Amino acid sequence: MNRILFFMEMRRNARSLLLWSLVISALVFFTMSFFHTVMQYQQQIAGMVQLIPAVAMKMRGFSNINDIFSVMGFYAANNIIYMMLVGSIFAIVLSSNILLKEEFGKTAEYLMSRPISRNEIFLTKLTLAFLNIFILNLIVTLVGFVAIRVYKEGSFNIDPFLVISLYTLLLNLLFGALGFFISVVMKRARPVTFFCVGLALVLYFLYSISKMTGVDGTFGYLSPFKWVNVEVLSPSYTFEMWRIGLFAGIAGLLISVSNFIYRKKDILT
Amino acid sequence: MNIIEIHKLSKYYHRSRGIEDITLNVPQGSIFGFIGPNGAGKSTTIRILLNLIFPTSGSAKIFGMDVVKDSKKIRSRIGYIPSDANMYDRMTVDEFLKFGAAFYGVGNNNPRMQYLLELFDLDPMRKIHELSMGNKKKVSIIQALVHRPELLILDEPTSGLDPLIQSRFFALLLEENLNGTTIFFSSHVLSEVQTLCKTVAIIKDGKIINVENIASMRDKQLKKVRIVSDKEITIQDLGIDGIGPVESGMGKTLLFFFSGDINALIGSLTSQQIENLSIEEPPLEEIFLHYYK
Repeated sequence: MNRILFFMEMRRNARSLLLWSLVISALVFFTMSFFHTVMQYQQQIAGMVQLIPAVAMKMRGFSNINDIFSVMGFYAANNIIYMMLVGSIFAIVLSSNILLKEEFGKTAEYLMSRPISRNEIFLTKLTLAFLNIFILNLIVTLVGFVAIRVYKEGSFNIDPFLVISLYTLLLNLLFGALGFFISVVMKRARPVTFFCVGLALVLYFLYSISKMTGVDGTFGYLSPFKWVNVEVLSPSYTFEMWRIGLFAGIAGLLISVSNFIYRKKDILT
Repeated sequence: MNIIEIHKLSKYYHRSRGIEDITLNVPQGSIFGFIGPNGAGKSTTIRILLNLIFPTSGSAKIFGMDVVKDSKKIRSRIGYIPSDANMYDRMTVDEFLKFGAAFYGVGNNNPRMQYLLELFDLDPMRKIHELSMGNKKKVSIIQALVHRPELLILDEPTSGLDPLIQSRFFALLLEENLNGTTIFFSSHVLSEVQTLCKTVAIIKDGKIINVENIASMRDKQLKKVRIVSDKEITIQDLGIDGIGPVESGMGKTLLFFFSGDINALIGSLTSQQIENLSIEEPPLEEIFLHYYK
């Protein structure tokens, strides 16, 4: 890793990281502020929810209406979407542009003519992207934790909260790895932001469809969103090694292939 | 000893030609010109030397090291001015120069950076995106020179520079060369190369067509001959050898390049009725242009 490039990139991305962190944190805090109201009108809400089709409920992440009457269930049903989807969009957009912006910004020729190897550039930018994703997750998780503490009624078990937060981080890192892969296979030097946002939305849609139809077969697992276990209220909810292995394995593979391609490719002009 | 050794180097972009079978040596301590029209393959060659792109076949060495395997080590001893001065626009000149210099271990408050900023009359506090094309080029020149490289690779370095700054830049290059820096100077403008370089390699359609000493290019005795007659004549009427490229071969005015025996030319003209005759040494640009025909 190259220290000079790392600190330059850190400064370059600080504003964007701060903005995304603030927006997602505000959304999380704002959503959690409704928990008190939900608890206050528990019976009326339960009655109203009966009218909502079961399919729509499942798509939203509710398997049981009582889920939203516990602070963790409410948090998972309403806030995990921000970090799973919006965090993944942040991750894939950041990672796909972090190498490619040197090429479409025409600074690749300058940077690569310094005494720095391709591998160092790749690893520095990878470290920086993953650090940004980690910081975003850390900030939002802390804000989520504080929001839960502030708005909770009754007891709150922190374990499922930590597990879902780790899964979300792994999901975001996987999207980061996917972003790197997309950037190194591009044949033209131009931003890929729209493509990446579209890809994240398509994968999220695929996941939503699989949840809605209740199909737990293979097609749902094409979407990495499906690899996250969101059943936070399940008594047996904990880390599952196969899920962690799946995230780490696919992300590792994407990063290794991306690094190999990047070290051998011509700069795009 | 050669600083740059290029051996049968080729680069194809898919099926289109970049460069083909280039072999070239640049001696240590020289100012070596690399001349060719746009699209001839100059930048492709340079980008391979810097390992920005990979060769399809062949090899190149700088300082005796392979440009692919040892590119980082090589680049630590090189200064490079790219043809397009693209930089990190949000930085100030000062930030950009310090960022670039840090890769070579050059610290802040470097006196040489100060000297170069003053020489090129550049305000270090200005943002890069506020700079004109010429000022960006100045920044590009400074970043290439600040770490005192052993080899300077210059790709169209004067585009955008006004004549005053260009002359300061050339004086600086000569000074660097006297201090031992080898300079590889790529350009499509021969006149600027001839003021600095003793030797030029001429590239056309991706191939080196000649490596020439500037002086010997002139000494080829290529003359530009203009004959004005009061009647129609053709170049064949002269019946002499050594006629080079012909611009006007028939009519009342003949215009051609001549590298043969000047006495034979004069002798043949005695049998013609001519009104006017001029024999002059053509500008180097014109000699050079004939390589492209």
